[in-house]
Order: sequence, then C-alpha cells, then structure tokens
Amino acid sequence: MFWFDQLVNGLTIGSVYALIALGYTLVYGILQMINFAHGEIFMIGAFAGWAVLLLLGGTAIGGPMLIVALIAAMVAAALASSASAVAIERVAYRRLRNAPRLAPLISAIGVSIALQNVVLKLTGGRDRVYPRIFPTGEVGVGDFGVGYIQAFLIVASIVMMVGLLAFIRRTRTGRAMRAVSEDRATASLMGVDVDRTIVTTFVVGAALAGVAGVLQGLWIPNIRGTMGFLPGIKAFTAAVVGGIGSVPGAMAGGYFLGLSETVGRELLNQLPGVSLPNEWRDVIAFSLLVLVLIFRPTGIFGERVSRRA
Amino acid sequence: MREATRRMRAPLTIGADAIRAAEERTRLPIARLLLFVLVVSVPFWPMIDSRWLRILVLVGIFVVLGLGLNIVVGYAGLLDLGFVAFFATGAYSYAILASPASPALQADLNWWLAIPIALTVGAAVGVMLGVPVLPLRGDYLAIVTLGFGEIIRILLLNVRGLTNGAQGLFNIPPPQLGGWVLKSLEQWYWLLVVSAFLIAIAVGRMRASRMGRAWEAIREDEDVAAGMGVSTVKYKLMAFAMGASVGAFGGLIFAGFFQFVNPSSFTLLVSVNVLSIVVIGGMGSTPGVVFGALILIGLPEVMQFSETERLLSVINPAVPFADTTDWGRQLASARFIVFGVLLVAVMALRPGGLFPAQRAHVRLADRAEAAA
Repeated sequence: MFWFDQLVNGLTIGSVYALIALGYTLVYGILQMINFAHGEIFMIGAFAGWAVLLLLGGTAIGGPMLIVALIAAMVAAALASSASAVAIERVAYRRLRNAPRLAPLISAIGVSIALQNVVLKLTGGRDRVYPRIFPTGEVGVGDFGVGYIQAFLIVASIVMMVGLLAFIRRTRTGRAMRAVSEDRATASLMGVDVDRTIVTTFVVGAALAGVAGVLQGLWIPNIRGTMGFLPGIKAFTAAVVGGIGSVPGAMAGGYFLGLSETVGRELLNQLPGVSLPNEWRDVIAFSLLVLVLIFRPTGIFGERVSRRA
Repeated sequence: MREATRRMRAPLTIGADAIRAAEERTRLPIARLLLFVLVVSVPFWPMIDSRWLRILVLVGIFVVLGLGLNIVVGYAGLLDLGFVAFFATGAYSYAILASPASPALQADLNWWLAIPIALTVGAAVGVMLGVPVLPLRGDYLAIVTLGFGEIIRILLLNVRGLTNGAQGLFNIPPPQLGGWVLKSLEQWYWLLVVSAFLIAIAVGRMRASRMGRAWEAIREDEDVAAGMGVSTVKYKLMAFAMGASVGAFGGLIFAGFFQFVNPSSFTLLVSVNVLSIVVIGGMGSTPGVVFGALILIGLPEVMQFSETERLLSVINPAVPFADTTDWGRQLASARFIVFGVLLVAVMALRPGGLFPAQRAHVRLADRAEAAA
C-alpha cells in the first residue's frame, strides 16, 4: 500500500520533528530566543545512545535485553543532551541575555559550528552506524503493515509528548515554566526562581531532542556530526508552523511537516507535469517556512511574534 | 580640563561632509597610496612563491565576499546566513553564459562583459530574496536566509537543463582582452587587489552617504528609524542588493579563476566562513574584513606548508618532527571548531570584533577648526 506507507513514513519523521520542535518552542516561550544549537543537541543524543548500545553488546543485543538496552540508550541520550544544553546556556547565552539582539544569535551559531566539527573531528569525518537490534517484521493487518522500528518510534514519541503535556499542566515546575514564559518579572516577584526555571526548560527540551536522536538512529542507522543541521531547521519550521511558543502547536507542526514532505510531495507528484524526487523535500520544508512567516506568522496556534526581535 | 572631558564624552555626529573631512584628515591619501603600492608589490617579495599567491588569491576572493556581507550584516544589521546564494549566483551566471559544457546555451561570453551582468543579476537576486524577508527580524531572518542558501544549492543540483547538475560546468574561459589572457597567479592577485580596493572605496562611500546613515539607523533600532522617516523597506532592499551584487562579483572571480563550478562549492560552509570573517574581524569594519580573511582563510592554509610545520616543531619540541608532517594539517582541518569558539568568544568578550569599526563622528571643535 503505497499511500499507507507514505503516511507511516510521514508520521515517523513527523514524530522526530515534533520532539525536536518542542525544544525550540519551550526555550522560545521562556526566553524569546531561538536556540540555534538545538539541532546539535539532537546529534549529541544520537551519539550518546549509539555509544550505550555498543557498550551493551551492539548487534548481540536481543530478547529481553533489547528493552533494557533501549531504555538505557534513551536515558543516556537524555542525560548527555541535557548536560550539553545546560553547559551551552551557561557558556554562550546567559551573559548575553541583555546584549544587542544579534549577539546571542551569533554566539549560538558559533556553538553549533563548533559542536558539529568537534564530533566530525572525533569520528574522523566518517559515519557511525547504529547496531541493528530490532527484529525485522511488521505489525498490522494485510497490506497495512508498520515496521517494528517505526511503530516503536511513533508510540514512544507520543508517550513522551503526553508526558510533557502532563508535566507542564500538572506539576509545580511546569506551572513555574508557564509563569516565567507569561511574565518573567512578575513570576520572579511571586517567588519563582527564574534562573532555575530557565535551566529546567533547557533540560526538558534537550532531553526530548536527545531521545529523538536515539529514535532516529534506530530507524536511519547512519549518524554523523552534521546530522542535526537539517532536522534542526525543519523542526524550527515545524515550531513556526505550529506557532512558536505553543507546545501543542510544535507537536502538530512536526506531524504536519512530516506529512507534507511525504504524502504532500507524492500528492503534488500526481499533478500532471510535476515530478519532485525525494531531494525536493528540503525545498518543500523551506518554502513552507517562508510562506508561513509571510502569510501567517502566528502559525496555527501561536501568538504573533515574528516581528519581535 | 573639564572642557576636554566634556568634549571627549560628547562626540557629536553631524553631516556627511564633516565626516568626510575628518576621514581625510586622519587617513592621508599618501598613506593609502603607500599601502596600495605595498600590497601590489607582494608578488615581487623574495619569499613569495606560487603557493603563497594561490592562498592570497583565495583570501582575496573571501575579502570581496566579506566586503559584500559586511554591508548586510555590519552596516544594516541584517543577519544573513545564506550569503552563499549570491556567490553561487555570480559564479553560475558567468559559467552558464561562458562554459562550452553549458547545456542551455552557448553564448561564449567574455569575462569582462560578464561583470555588469553578474552585478545586475546579483542585485536582482538580492532584491528577490530580500522582499519576502522584509518583515522578519533577527532569528527569523537568519533561519530563512539559511534556507535560501540551501534551496539555491538544491536548485543547482536539480535544474540540470541549466546547471548540468552535480557534474557542474567546466572549461570556463578565464578573462581575456583581445589576444591577452589573464592566467598567471600574479595577474589574478592584482585583479583581486584592484577589485577589493575599488569595492572597499565604494562601500566606504556608501557608508558615509545618506544610505549608509539610514542603514546604521535601521541597525540600531528599526522602529525608531522608521519613526524618523527612514524608508526601511527601501534601504533594507538596497542593503540586500548591494551586498548581493558584491557577493556575485566574488562568484564571478571564483568561476574565472577555477574555470570550473559545481554545486559542492556552494555549501553552507561558505556562508559560515564569510560570516566568521565579518564577525571576528569586526562587524562594519573594512580592515576587519581584510584581516579576518587573512587570519581565517590564509592562516589555516599557511599552517599546512612543510616549512611552517618544521617551524612549529621548533617552537614546540615536544612534538617530534616525524609527527609534525601532520601537525599543521590537523590544526587546519579543525579550523571550523576554532571559528565556532571564536564566534562565541568574540560575542562574549569583544562584541566589536578584533578590529572594531571606527564610528564616524566629528567633534564640534574639529568642525570649528576645519571651518577656520
């Protein structure tokens, strides 16, 4: 079933975009800045998970060990990504919080370039490959089959997103995050520790991106230092499409973008005279970003912010 | 004493004529002329061989690109991460019109005649990409221009009927006038020196003009600038057009020098290189661009000379010479790590860059002296 497969692929890649987009949107909501190095946080998570899987036996992992290994890899990725995000916030962003608007942005680009190239250097510029530990096979009925990995990726992402929503809406820390993003000064007067809440936000966003890195690695096994660049931009697009600052918006935006690149592209291909091979999916994403920013800068759910520097 | 302090603290910015007068006082034409002669004489220096010249040509191309991006980022404060788009536009507009491998047309265009074409096409593409991003600021502008840079590369790869796809366009003719062909490294070097000087002067004039002051106002605060009656639309588009034009000229030189273009030369790394030059050199500073290019483009190349590596082994005897064959190359290949760290460090410690722009200002007393 061609269209069903496209749909599943769209949901899979959309899950990855959504998880990364959440980090952009959370940080934006609280600091009104775009964490340009977020794609590299995703990349670091992918490498951390890969290292853990190799330590636990690589391709030899199987049976009940599989679940343990997966959890260990995701936890390690979340920790590594969070630690990097906290370090980046400390080194590159904190002292620039009141600097002219270009300064934190250029600093973030610097972090992003440095991290990409440190990893490229460490890996000698060659790809690393995730061990194939998932049994091959599909779940589903008849023609409507979904590979185990993709099914796992989609379900795990949705579980995490539901968890995030609950965290933001139900817990004390979540309430503090909402308060700071609403009005930093007032929140601080109400006894919210603003600096700590900002760090928490970076940690939560980074952990999601780190796990997304592992999930993508399980699905598309090749990882490298520059792997975070395109998903980073696309997830940013997703966050903008959904309305930057809005948590449900980032999720919806991620899936919307994932489906546009797959189902949307194939639908366009049905038009007479149109032929968009797979490489054009990046053009689709960028065009979508530009169109949304021009015609509906608020995105689907968000507030109008693109004019704010 | 009090008077002197007051004067020091209150530099007053006034009209362009006064600025020009002050500039002429500080930078004598003779000094400029000497500098020019010094730079032009480089190929005759005893130690300079073809390797040095090749590096200097590369540095020169990046000086040209840096001068272009400096208009957009340094003067107008518009963070453009897709500058490679204009570089590619210039290179391909000549390559398509001149390469015998061009699938669309065989125009056999002369390089010199391509100059106005590249400048015009560059400016047009600058305006074309500038219009949709007019309402965007800061982060959004950066990410959308980044997207444009990538889109251009994907188009170059996929619009095969025009660009010959991944194979690229080869046998691009070098500049020629009558029977004379510009081929040697010295000639290329001189062409770049003259172009860079002319562009630097033109850009300096722009900066001192009404347009330059409008750019500065937009950079400092766009809303206030608009409130004071500066047409932000017009001047932002002018910044994009001028920057793109200069970038396209850089591409034209690139295509003529290497006589070959393909999409893999026009990646994000070019934009990163040029941005690093502008930011680390000093946003808005012309000497900053020149020194930035010498340090960021020239130094990593020089590090790879075997003499340099031998020299490094003398400075650092802990590294045995046998291993140093790789030393400079190792460092050079890590250059982007250094660029990234430098970008962060410059923003935190020295936001004006290594060679900060001199703000054009004239004190009232100077003006009185000038009038006297």
